[in-house]
Amino acid sequence: MANKSILSISTLMAVLLLVAACAGLQSSYAPPAQHPSAADLDEAPKVCTNCHDARGEHVAYGRYVHTADWGKNHRPEATQGEAVCAMCHQTSFCNDCHATRVELKPSLKNQSDTYRSTPHRGDYLSRHRIDGQVDPTSCFRCHGNPKAAQTCARCHG
Amino acid sequence: MRIGKPYRECVFALIMLLGILPAYSLSAEVVVKSDTIFRFFERDTAVERDAAVLPGYEYLQIDAGQLSDYGLSFHLYGWGRADFADNDYYDDQTDGELLYGYLEYRQKANRFGARLGRQHVFEGVANEAIDGLRLSGDLGDYFALSLYGGLPVGLDSTQSRSGDSIFGGRLSHRLGTHYEIGVSYKIIDNDSETAEEMLGFDLSAFLPADLSFFGSSAYNQETEDWAEHSYELRIPLGSVLLKPYYQHFSYEDYFSTGANAVNPFRPLAQSAEELTAYGVDALWKLDDAWTLGGKVKLFDYDQQDKAETYSVLLSWQGDNLTQYGGEIGHTTTGDADNDYTLVRLYGYCDAMADRFWIDFFSADLLMAYYDKAIYGEDSSLFLSLGGGKRFMDDALSVKLSGDYSQDPYFDDDLRGMLTMSYSYDKQ
Repeated sequence: MANKSILSISTLMAVLLLVAACAGLQSSYAPPAQHPSAADLDEAPKVCTNCHDARGEHVAYGRYVHTADWGKNHRPEATQGEAVCAMCHQTSFCNDCHATRVELKPSLKNQSDTYRSTPHRGDYLSRHRIDGQVDPTSCFRCHGNPKAAQTCARCHG
Repeated sequence: MRIGKPYRECVFALIMLLGILPAYSLSAEVVVKSDTIFRFFERDTAVERDAAVLPGYEYLQIDAGQLSDYGLSFHLYGWGRADFADNDYYDDQTDGELLYGYLEYRQKANRFGARLGRQHVFEGVANEAIDGLRLSGDLGDYFALSLYGGLPVGLDSTQSRSGDSIFGGRLSHRLGTHYEIGVSYKIIDNDSETAEEMLGFDLSAFLPADLSFFGSSAYNQETEDWAEHSYELRIPLGSVLLKPYYQHFSYEDYFSTGANAVNPFRPLAQSAEELTAYGVDALWKLDDAWTLGGKVKLFDYDQQDKAETYSVLLSWQGDNLTQYGGEIGHTTTGDADNDYTLVRLYGYCDAMADRFWIDFFSADLLMAYYDKAIYGEDSSLFLSLGGGKRFMDDALSVKLSGDYSQDPYFDDDLRGMLTMSYSYDKQ
């Protein structure tokens, strides 16, 4: 076990040295830290491609357009394009659904926000026994660790 | 009043905030957001039938420092609950959680970023909350690297945190907006035993004719086999977008998380089941406001009988957040032994102020029809109505909503919720 810890720490140190060595390499583009607000823009564009190219020089904004099924299909963008997401959304927005321990399910905390495609709307207690057998992998993504599974523990132990 | 662990964590995070404030007190941007939620409903407790349950929640977010530009900043978000009915309904539940609380330094050159404290890491195979350090940055024009390490928050409810650790990172290579490929790794120890060790690969490729291809794979180092493959193609055809996809999961490798395993997933890791899912999502943008969509997904298993889901949606989007829509879907199951049809109609009107006292109104109706009755009920009905008004130049909004549910678990269940959202923004 001690060897494993030493290996982990050595690996971390080696990579940190690599990062330090590469720090002199300048990248050519960094997106703004924060997107201008609707007030700054004097308008409220509905989608990214109202102003940006779908496939610009640095960012393919087309992939970030929030289509009607975006709530269920944004995984590739979230895992690869955090800097683009972060221009408009703080982590608290993601935490409505993706959090280690929240008590109110997303559709309950934001009950009135019916325009948001949040999971588990309505009587999901009945439906989850069917959905959970059809595709338990989607349950596991959010409820797969001991703390997040406290939601399940009341009935499933 | 007992000071619980979540409060101690919040106090620690606030001390971190106070540590940076003196240096930035003159130029700091500060944003405070508060959601105060009061709920009312009835549930059976250990000693009383239909006991009133009256929880009050506070969700508090504080961001301070250089927020609108690169630089040093502090971020905190958490929730806490008070039980005003003070019965035993919440006895076995935690009454709060610090979701994140970290110091962040961002530098435009190299897109260097450092985060220290509790934070959520979304990248590659990681979807984890950690108490620790994350470093990220570009290595020139074509490569980027991120590394993180610390204690996994998901395990702080098991035994003590001694012997718990998480390390990981992602190395990616990109060529402009032609493609990006990444390899990622994470290892989680629980009480000095390896709970999870995953290696990941992710890809995005932008092809001729505006085609694009995305996907990821995850390899379980503990079981030494592939846990997941998920890939999708996006095909724009004028105003229609088609998204065919393919997914494969090996339950033994996907759910096998060693000392980290929890119910109801623990038995799945022993099942040797393999799931292959494939299908297509289609979206047709009829005009600026109307969207028509459809979805077909087929589930093919090694052991279970096949299952299928089909759904159609229609939505109309107006100004601001105004939106109306509906969706109908049917799920045909195999061994789950119950098919069901789900219908949803919803609306959100964000332009009420000209005609009514309230500023926005929401409605949500869901109906489910089960082929086989659940606890004697072959359908469920859920209706939610809400409305709200904004004050103080939209800094404060007050929302009131009520829900009614008639379903296999609850008869004539009524719930009420009052939400007050306040935002202070000094930028």
